[in-house]
Amino acid sequence: MLANFIYQNLLICQFELKRLFATRKGWLYLATYLVVWYFILFYPIRYAANLLDEHRSTAHAGSFFEFLGFGSLLDWSIPAFGVYWHFALIFFPMMSVVIAADQTCSDRVRGTLRFLALRVSRDGLFFGRYISFMVIQFLLILLTLLATLLLVVFRDSSLLLEAFNNAASILINLFLVLLPFTAMMAGLSATVKSARQATVWAVLIWSFLAGIISALSSYLPILGKLKILIPGYQLSGLAQLSEWETLQLAYIPVLQAVILLIIGRWIMQRQAL
Amino acid sequence: MSEPIIQCRDVSHSYSGKLALKQVSFEIFAGEPIGLVGPNGAGKTTLLSVLCGFLKPSAGIVSIFGYKPGDSNLCGKISALPQDARFDPVFTIGEQLAFLACLQGFDVEQAWQEAGRVLDAVALKESLHSILDTLSHGMAKRVAIAQALIGSPELILLDEPTAGLDPVNTRNIRSIIMEQAKHSTFVISSHDLAELGRVCQKVLLLENGVMSPMQHNVAEADGNTGFFTLQMETCPADKLIKELNQLNGVIKVSNPQKNEFLVEYLPEQAPQIDIEILTCLAKHHWSYRQLIRGKSLEEKLFFSH
Repeated sequence: MLANFIYQNLLICQFELKRLFATRKGWLYLATYLVVWYFILFYPIRYAANLLDEHRSTAHAGSFFEFLGFGSLLDWSIPAFGVYWHFALIFFPMMSVVIAADQTCSDRVRGTLRFLALRVSRDGLFFGRYISFMVIQFLLILLTLLATLLLVVFRDSSLLLEAFNNAASILINLFLVLLPFTAMMAGLSATVKSARQATVWAVLIWSFLAGIISALSSYLPILGKLKILIPGYQLSGLAQLSEWETLQLAYIPVLQAVILLIIGRWIMQRQAL
Repeated sequence: MSEPIIQCRDVSHSYSGKLALKQVSFEIFAGEPIGLVGPNGAGKTTLLSVLCGFLKPSAGIVSIFGYKPGDSNLCGKISALPQDARFDPVFTIGEQLAFLACLQGFDVEQAWQEAGRVLDAVALKESLHSILDTLSHGMAKRVAIAQALIGSPELILLDEPTAGLDPVNTRNIRSIIMEQAKHSTFVISSHDLAELGRVCQKVLLLENGVMSPMQHNVAEADGNTGFFTLQMETCPADKLIKELNQLNGVIKVSNPQKNEFLVEYLPEQAPQIDIEILTCLAKHHWSYRQLIRGKSLEEKLFFSH
């Protein structure tokens, strides 16, 4: 039974990868993504990394970047990855909300999900699509990290090993960061009728949840701890950490993802297909 | 007697407080195709959706081959043509059918062969590499029927399989059902009573979410009397009724529709009433279109009481 569940998840994952890498629509998304990242890499990241490289040895550099709120950039052994990390912490969660918004909704509205539901359990569908979107995002992150790595090595090939180390720490961390965002979108996608609706609801829930918890915590401060349930809660903390230190906060997205997946699965089990 | 393949006990389902199915109970055994009929809004699609596991019933128990609908043990045993469900326009028809076959346990090569086989069955093999947007409504419907045939499941539920199809393809679908019915039990929901009458031996009637307590047998006589349905070319109705009433064994002749007559008779007294009817028509030079043993399904289901 479990083997069949895993096998079906693999098939769904394979099919979704095909959607991105072997269809015209997928190529269009991919091309857009690559163009956006081309500009991010070759302008903000490259210039910021150069700037850091030039000033990191000067006496006032630390206090200057601290003043701007980017002091942690100097903790990265390779500045380009430090800048990438700060960009990625903003870019990928936003991207996740957009690209993971249509995990099941358009298929449900079109009726395609019914063909699948006759062959796969609802759990298989829900987790299969979730895993697929995580794999897709993993590959997209990997692609940009490889480009950054090439950029670094092209300038100084002696940094290859260090660059691999930096890239690996970012890859794992970003993957963890995206777990709850994708889980939130999986749950929303299981209940709304379009990807746009899912994105709108995600923004609303995100904003209102933060507002409500802040308001409640002003009356009862202990309720402020509930903020840990908001996807992205740890992002500002993560921005202050560098390289493998970033794993210190890994428990937060994992916990959020588990809770959101339980809620999403509950929705999927009750939803009419 | 063998176990029923479908068992529904007191199944109810409501949409926003409005009951679409009201304590529906019935059993279906493996065998001949079974029709599910009822007027618009009777709950046919809701019932099929519950059987497929697309909808969770608000109350009651549903069992398919001993499992709850949607159970992974039913994978490959049950299949369906859901109403208005369409394939993904991004992938080719072949890719999607092969993917569904893979999910049913076929390996990749077998899955493509199976995709070709089921498309061939609905006369669409040339559409293997087409995408949905290039197909007409009728062709898309046939592709959806093709997916229901993957792996020759034991139970196939079809929701309006011939709606929107041209006569040639309606006939093709009928042939597919008759052929596949040797291996699978079909439950077919349709408004087309003439079509259902040709394919199904038994019919379930659903009205306002309530299932009729009896399964109607299409060919079965009602009690001790028999019926013939006579469809005529233009003829003097009153005179025809008068002549037919005079035949030995005839109880009553009614005229439910223009040029259509229903002859009720006693089979024991008039075992060859059909020959007598035809002789009578020939004697008066009245041309007939069809003489059918029994009532039409429409008459049997909706106008018998």
